[in-house]
Amino acid sequence: MKPHFSLQRRPAAAALAGWLTLVGGLGAAAAGEAVPPARTNAPPPAVVKPAAKPRHQLTGAELYSMHCNRCHPERYPTERTAAQWKTIVLHMQVRANLPPPQARMILKYLQENSGR
Amino acid sequence: MVRRLAVAGCALGLAGSSARAQVSQSDFNALREMVLKLNQQVQELQQTHAADAQTHQKDVEELQLWQQKLGQLPAPPAPVPAVGGTAADGPVSSLPRAPIDEATVNHNFMILGDAEFQYAKAEGQRGTFMLADFAPIFLYRGGENILFEAGFDFILQNNAPNAPGYTTTVNLSFAQLNYVANDYVTFAAGNLLLPLGTYSERTAGWLNKLPDNPLARGLLPGAAVGAELRGAVPVNDQGMLLNYAVFGVNGPGSADGTANAGALDLGGNVGLRTDNMVANLHGAPSGGGRVALFHPFKPHYDFELGLSTQAGEWDNAGTHLWSAGVVDAALHLGANCEIKGEYVRSRYGSDDLGMINPEGWWLQAGYKLAGLNLDLPGINNLELVGRYDVLADGMGTRTSRYSAGCIYYLTNTLLFEGAYEFVHSNGPRIPGNQLLLQLSYGF
Repeated sequence: MKPHFSLQRRPAAAALAGWLTLVGGLGAAAAGEAVPPARTNAPPPAVVKPAAKPRHQLTGAELYSMHCNRCHPERYPTERTAAQWKTIVLHMQVRANLPPPQARMILKYLQENSGR
Repeated sequence: MVRRLAVAGCALGLAGSSARAQVSQSDFNALREMVLKLNQQVQELQQTHAADAQTHQKDVEELQLWQQKLGQLPAPPAPVPAVGGTAADGPVSSLPRAPIDEATVNHNFMILGDAEFQYAKAEGQRGTFMLADFAPIFLYRGGENILFEAGFDFILQNNAPNAPGYTTTVNLSFAQLNYVANDYVTFAAGNLLLPLGTYSERTAGWLNKLPDNPLARGLLPGAAVGAELRGAVPVNDQGMLLNYAVFGVNGPGSADGTANAGALDLGGNVGLRTDNMVANLHGAPSGGGRVALFHPFKPHYDFELGLSTQAGEWDNAGTHLWSAGVVDAALHLGANCEIKGEYVRSRYGSDDLGMINPEGWWLQAGYKLAGLNLDLPGINNLELVGRYDVLADGMGTRTSRYSAGCIYYLTNTLLFEGAYEFVHSNGPRIPGNQLLLQLSYGF
């Protein structure tokens, strides 16, 4: 019968396993991740999370500058009426692959500043 | 207190009886008539006052209504961009506006487009004026989600030698019906502008910045008849997008039905043959698509990288494949600096020359001198443009071209463009070095 694998019967393997354990432990300690802290009765220090910076929500004007200037000089919102902008923005939404929610924000900006 | 009032009442009663004794009947009647008139006038005044109060109440209610509407409008006045400036830069006051009643106006139909007029002086040729392009785009919006758009190109060309006059050619450059199915998918069908790179959708003279197309675009079809799904998926809330397009079209065909290399026709095969048969020229349609990542850093600062491809049969027998791939990139560093380019590689089999592998690329940079903040007359309307493009046709001819150009913005959409092109080629140099002056208008 083939004997089971045993470290006692293979001193070289045992030495290798010990060496790996030692190196692994040192590496983990150096990385500061796997060595558990000593147990004390003191309460754990309170973790203070930095205040999350509020993310800026893009406005219609910013989206307009961001997308329209990619291909052509920006047009003045006053060049067209609010109703004309509706057709033009749908055209540009398809042509420039604008997401409809962003296109709606751009349209709102243009209509609020439109010519008539 | 009661006793005092009783005494006073008796005194007044005695005084009244003595006064009645002194007034004649006629005086009493006149006085009575006067009192009745006064009473009538008082009633009229009361009625007028009541009407005024009602009107005032309506005015107050209307005023409150307008104040509520004004309170609902966006607080800061929206900015208006200037030429070479940014919409998000500076605030510009604007008057609050009552929404237009859509039922009373119809702007569903519109004409946009561009026009270019050119003066060209090619090496070894006489300089000439020409109508480079008049390209109106007709738009019809059917409701919120449907748009039909069609673009035309009007071209003038001399008649054959010894024949007077000229020929006007009208080309349908694209015509497509778009249906916005939802926030992520738009369905389009018709003669589609193919999303192979980005140039085919930005060819107008006032968008291109140089009067000539890049040489490598000659390796790709500009439009084809078929159907397409396209859209964009937001990657984050700061404007980053993943754009996509998937299409199936008839694909390139053979000009004479053979599979000889010179017969490759990128612009034909529209589904209706000259014998009025509705049929593809070859057995299988062509398919392709584009995927691109658009990464804005802030308004006017962005980077876009796209990959696109198309493949399918091209000869009538369907024994050879044609395919093309494009890598496109564009970088904007502020409102005044733009760098963009494309790498195009194509591959198709032929009976006479075997497998052919044309390729080319172009890189273009533009800088608006407004970015220098110089206080010199007219300088803020100038933009310098340079481009280098290369084309190897896969059959031994390699052509390279340097273009140095300048744009003067007469308005934000009326541009005067000039460029000098230095052409180097180991094949026939047509047209060779040339000077191009162009007036471009986008409308």
